[in-house]
Amino acid sequence: MLSLQHISKYYQTGGNKTFVLNDLSLDIDQGEFVSIMGPSGSGKSTLLNIIGMLDEPTSGYHYFMDQPVHQLKEKQRSALYKQYIGFVFQAYHLIDELTVLENIETPLIYQNIKGAERKALVADMLDRFNIVGKKDLFPAQLSGGQQQLVGIARALIGKPKLLLADEPTGNLNSKQGEEIMELFKKINKEDGVTIIQVTHSEKNAEYGSRIINLLDGRIESTTTL
Amino acid sequence: MLKNYIKTAWRNLWKGRVFNIMNIIGLSVAVACCIMLFLTVYYEFSYDKFHANLDKIHQFYFTKNGAEKVEKATSMPAPLTPAVKAEYQDIKYITRMSNGGTVVRYGDKQLEESIHFVDPDFLKMFTFPVVKGNTDAPLKDLNDVVLTEFAATAIFGKTDPIGKSVELNYSGEPKTFVVSAVVKDFPPNSSIGFDVLLRFENTPTYQANMKSWDHHDHSVFVQLNDNVEPAAFESRLQNFVKKTFKTTIADMKRDGARPDAQGNVYTLNLLPFADNHFDTELVGLEGNSVSKIYVLALLAIGIFILVIACINFVNLSVARAFTRAREVGVRKTLGAGKWQLLTQFWVETLLVCLFALVLGIIMANFALPGFKATFRSQVSMSMLLQPIQLVVIIGLFVLITIIAGLYPALLMMRYKTVMVLKGSVNTVKPGKVRNILLVTQFSLSTLLIVCTLITWQQINYFKNKPLGYSKDEVVSIPVGNSVNGARALELFRNQLNGQPGVVAISGAYDNMGNGKDGSTRTSIIGFTYKGHDVRTNIQGVSYDYAKTMGIQMIDGRDFSREFATDSNAIVVNEKMAAQLGRKNVVGTYVAMDEKHPQLVVGVMKNFHFRSLRTEIEPLTLVLSGYEMNYIFVKVRPQNLSQTFNMIEQKWKQTFPNAEFQGSWINENTERQYKAEQRLSTIFISGAIIAIIISCIGLLAISFMIMVQRTKEIGIRKVLGANIAGLVLLLSRDFLKLVLLAAVIAFPIAWWLMNQWLQSFVYRIDIQWWIFALAAFIAVFIAFITVSFQSIKAALANPVRSLRSE
Repeated sequence: MLSLQHISKYYQTGGNKTFVLNDLSLDIDQGEFVSIMGPSGSGKSTLLNIIGMLDEPTSGYHYFMDQPVHQLKEKQRSALYKQYIGFVFQAYHLIDELTVLENIETPLIYQNIKGAERKALVADMLDRFNIVGKKDLFPAQLSGGQQQLVGIARALIGKPKLLLADEPTGNLNSKQGEEIMELFKKINKEDGVTIIQVTHSEKNAEYGSRIINLLDGRIESTTTL
Repeated sequence: MLKNYIKTAWRNLWKGRVFNIMNIIGLSVAVACCIMLFLTVYYEFSYDKFHANLDKIHQFYFTKNGAEKVEKATSMPAPLTPAVKAEYQDIKYITRMSNGGTVVRYGDKQLEESIHFVDPDFLKMFTFPVVKGNTDAPLKDLNDVVLTEFAATAIFGKTDPIGKSVELNYSGEPKTFVVSAVVKDFPPNSSIGFDVLLRFENTPTYQANMKSWDHHDHSVFVQLNDNVEPAAFESRLQNFVKKTFKTTIADMKRDGARPDAQGNVYTLNLLPFADNHFDTELVGLEGNSVSKIYVLALLAIGIFILVIACINFVNLSVARAFTRAREVGVRKTLGAGKWQLLTQFWVETLLVCLFALVLGIIMANFALPGFKATFRSQVSMSMLLQPIQLVVIIGLFVLITIIAGLYPALLMMRYKTVMVLKGSVNTVKPGKVRNILLVTQFSLSTLLIVCTLITWQQINYFKNKPLGYSKDEVVSIPVGNSVNGARALELFRNQLNGQPGVVAISGAYDNMGNGKDGSTRTSIIGFTYKGHDVRTNIQGVSYDYAKTMGIQMIDGRDFSREFATDSNAIVVNEKMAAQLGRKNVVGTYVAMDEKHPQLVVGVMKNFHFRSLRTEIEPLTLVLSGYEMNYIFVKVRPQNLSQTFNMIEQKWKQTFPNAEFQGSWINENTERQYKAEQRLSTIFISGAIIAIIISCIGLLAISFMIMVQRTKEIGIRKVLGANIAGLVLLLSRDFLKLVLLAAVIAFPIAWWLMNQWLQSFVYRIDIQWWIFALAAFIAVFIAFITVSFQSIKAALANPVRSLRSE
């Protein structure tokens, strides 16, 4: 599904190159649940952003669903992204001015899906996440766990093949975190959504099927569970 | 999708309501101003456009290339029209035109109406369509009269006027005319205005002057054939001029006339009637000409205000963009395309602009009556609904939303999504664009301040410059049509004689300044004196003129009842005396009229009998031969208003049928500078609005900057900075920009105002301190605005600002 080959990302500071990712190669198959771990500054988030096409590598080859992403134009990349990828953030990043329902609906609007169909899809999703009663609330009226739930619902509404999560439990307490991880596991198993998460927590990492440890922009070790 | 955009837009606008309300207020004030100003400009430019043949109609004027100056005159001799028409095939239609007032009597109804005396071609050239009566030849017979619908209704009410006889009294003796046609009322933007049309042959002096080539007293309009070039026709006319005005040309050459490029000293020229409304150079044109500068100033100020408000809009949107960067980032990760985001922001801008537009139109509606009164504008809101205006408004509206909405949106789109989502948007560069925009705003504001100060200074100069006669204690009373002037003067003199408070009474042909009757008269005579051409203004006066007006005699005496021969004497001013070229002109004879040489009995000190826009010209006072159109009463300086009331009462007792239109001469002279006063009011209002809108923008931007610099301020405070130092630090950047703006505005303002001042013979010099004062005002206002925020920021507790980081 996803293949990174010799990916490097560096910044030019003075005469030196500061590497964030250094000649990194990685393959991920359909249906995997991958946890990326590593100390601060090891390049976890950058790697995730490159996979999510929010960021571009300085060099290397990037294939996603058999498409050479590194050769695609902005527009094609955006289309690919819209169709296959969902994103979950540590800080939830819900849009404050929109209600829960509208937040979840937004990706569908950008996919030009008709109103009636949108309503049905969103209703299903609210139902599935048990947040029907909260649909008209604004993000500020929800707890962190609930906000993240909405964030995940929003990421899943477009039926993505790949879900990217950047420390999804980072701002939550352990109980809320556990619930979110259980949810991830369920999504991975039942819907067959490939998940890649960045995490600091050993415990959360173990929900995945594979743990990749990064250090200084390289893969230090890979553990398959 | 659109519904969703509008919903989000609305919530976003509500969230940033403080900013947006500022934005909307600024913009709607600008919209209101622009609506009023642009409509006025449109109105002025629409003058006379309703004439179908406008492009082909021209007015004749003579150009005299004299030794010292070029003189242009629109008055023509009566035989010219038939002669030119007979000689030139180029002319399709030609008409003479002279104006007057008349008393119309029908049954027991009596009304004052204005007349135009014209030739039959008049109605074929100008678009005053006949709605009733004889459509083919409405002025065929000499006793035909044509009325406007308005006048017809006033005189006849609901009765059909066609074929009815009316009695017109315009020359002292009533004559009977038959209504042959009624023409459609002309729009207010018509230079030619009349109630009644009569054949030109009915003018009171027609018989006396019909063969005289020397007596110039009316206008002539021609419509050329379709294929005739005005310039070519003008040059062909030269043959006629050379032939007909042989002696004039010979006299001019003798006096050292300077020929023009074609070698002619005396020419007959064409003024396109389309230019009539904006021609302020030629005297004696139809309607009230308006200086194009005045109209362009309105346009420029409108554009300035609009630009300033749009800059605010952009700056405020950019400022808000920082807080919305995260939203843009999130939307991008949710799959939003560039155009979808741009549309979203555009919809928001559209909403704000729509609000502002609606609010602006409402404001304009409320402000319009005041505006119309102040600027003598004839505009109405219904003018907005004409197709051209609608297209312009919609076009301008869309353009503004695109410029003001898209730029901030594009700016937001440039942020790196990843950075935004990490929360590290530190794109807090001072922003070159923002600074340029601020400088532009304040340049325009400073420009308007300088213009305000200078026009104000010039008007003040006008008001305070001694005119050489007493203007504060003299009442001028227009006699009006219903009474004979000379008789009225005698009657009123007897009435007022011995009244306490009255010093002297006299009368004259022409008023001082602009009286309440609104008329001015000019009479100029040219004659040959000792082998050279002498031209002088003539003023017919009564006894005691110099005493009443407080004019100083430097030699000789004023007219006196003790000398019976004074009816053939003249009093001249210094300018005229200089023209006569003798040391002691008193006691010499001047032959203005070849048969009766007139004795100079006195020389007056020069005084400004015309406005200060022009140089003092030679002036000759005569005792006989001129109507007494004005009565002047000099009063004692005590109890001015009481004496004025007494004069009014006496007038009403003496002439129960004549309206009292008396006014102090100082009011009359101030009325001469109404145009300047209006310009100054426009500049002041423009400057105030521009400054207010600029300050709204500055306030919002300073607010943003303070938020961004909270941490820096906290650190500085912890390190021991005091409040005053901090306020200065925070305000300094803005003040520098405002100062820069002022410096940029100065040369432009100087050039503009210098151009404007050139149109006055008596004018102030532009002083350096005007600029210093303008800069000080701009900086001071900006400082006050910025200090609101900077003082607040400097006073904030550093612990809080540092903890939040």
